[in-house]
This record gives sequence, C-alpha cells and structure tokens, in this order.
Amino acid sequence: MSTRADLELTLPARADSLTVVRQALAGLAEALSWSEDFLADAKIAVSEACANVVIHAYGDGEGPLHMLAWARQDTLECVIADEGRGMDPKTAARSTGLGLGLPLMSALSHEVEVKSEPGGHTRVRMVLHQDGAAEGRGGA
Amino acid sequence: MRSDPGGTVDVNADPRLIESSDDGVVVLSLVGEHDIKTAPQLEQRLRALVETDGGVVVDLGRTTFLDSAILKVLLDAVQEARRRGKGFSVLLPDDAQNPAVRRIFELTELVPVFPVLASREQALEEARGGRQEP
Repeated sequence: MSTRADLELTLPARADSLTVVRQALAGLAEALSWSEDFLADAKIAVSEACANVVIHAYGDGEGPLHMLAWARQDTLECVIADEGRGMDPKTAARSTGLGLGLPLMSALSHEVEVKSEPGGHTRVRMVLHQDGAAEGRGGA
Repeated sequence: MRSDPGGTVDVNADPRLIESSDDGVVVLSLVGEHDIKTAPQLEQRLRALVETDGGVVVDLGRTTFLDSAILKVLLDAVQEARRRGKGFSVLLPDDAQNPAVRRIFELTELVPVFPVLASREQALEEARGGRQEP
C-alpha cells in the first residue's frame, strides 16, 4: 500500500462517531464494489476498534479518534489511533464489556497489530482481505 | 418509545427500539444500527421488561448492525431472564438483510445461547416457555 491513506477521518471519540466511521466504510465499499460480506466484516472489525477508543482512551475527558484507511478492491488496511492515555493490564481488567473487541478483530483480519503503552497513545492496525479466508466464510 | 404504525421502516434512519405485544410476550425490535451509543437505552428497557410478567423476544429482523456492547446487553438480559424463570429468545429471520448481524453471531458462536431463532412463531413459543437455569 502507498503511504498516503485513501481515507483519513478525525472525529471526536464519542459513541455517535461510530456510525460516521461505518458510513465511511460503506462509501468505500460502494466505490470499490466490495461484497456485502466484506463490508460487514470491515464494519465489525473497525467499529470494535473505534469503540475501544471511545471507552478507554480518554477516561471522562475528550479527545480525537483517528481513522486511516487504505482500500483496494479486495483489501482494506485500517489504522485506528487515539491520543489518549494508552492501555495497561489494569485498564483492560477494569473493562465491563465482554472483551470481544480484539478477538473479533483478530478473527476477521489477516493481520492485527496493537501498539499501546501506559500514558501513551494507542494505535490499532488491521488488514482484511475480501477472500474471507480469515475465518469461517466458505464458498461463494 | 414510539409505537410502530406498521408502515415501511427505513432501516437507515436513526436507530430505535419498537415494542409490540403478542399474546403476553413483548417483542422488542431493534431497528437500524445499534452499538455502544444505544446499548444503555437497550439495557434499561430489557431490564424493565425482564422484571415484568411474560416473556421477551428481541427481534433483530430490522437491525442492520450490532456490536459486542449490544451482545453483552443481550447476554445479561438472557441470564437474568433464566434466573427469574422468564422466557427469552432472539429472532433473526432468514430473509432479514443484515449480514453484519449474522456475522457477529456466527463469529461469537452465540446462536444457541439466547437462542437465536429464524421463525417468529418459534421465538414466541420459546419466550412463552420460560426455563429456570441455575
């Protein structure tokens, strides 16, 4: 992928930003003729990463959520980044959710990288392929 | 909570919850995209419904997206329903056009847990049944 992203969004890290992210993915899907299934996978994986930013990055404060996407007809590379307080094991342990975000991203992606340190920013990079070989999808 | 007059529902509109009743069972339809934004409202509504008489069906036929936060709300609700011996089921019709909803249930293997049923009649019957679990 070239270094310049095909799509860059900066949104407030709030719950109502997730629908904007998913609409942006739908726009890419239409432009690139992605299958419905590939768009579904992309929406789930990216939305979970963004939800983690909304829930964990800034505590009770506010801050930005950055999304960068490099999109081709059968590949999506997406980076979700924040400027927040970073993740540490204690923060993760306090989570009241199901903890399914990262497992879902991993199941749907060929690659997932998470870079985060306490006090630092968090960056999640994922690569999805439309052949669906990541998990579960058989046949046409 | 707005009542649904039964006309065409635009699933691309703002997400909302629509309730109806079917012979003592409350059918709660999640319309549109549901995620961390709508999870608190859903949690509040399900908690109230599970505390009252009659079973609950969560209808995902017009849900175009749901995330793991919504799954958690549904799991908490079904666990509470079981604890109280109340009926609970999730309806996901085969002809519903929502690949993202099917996909997240498929990946998380949660279909048998609620259970997720394809027919409204099955879902209502399951919700009327009620079963106690330890």
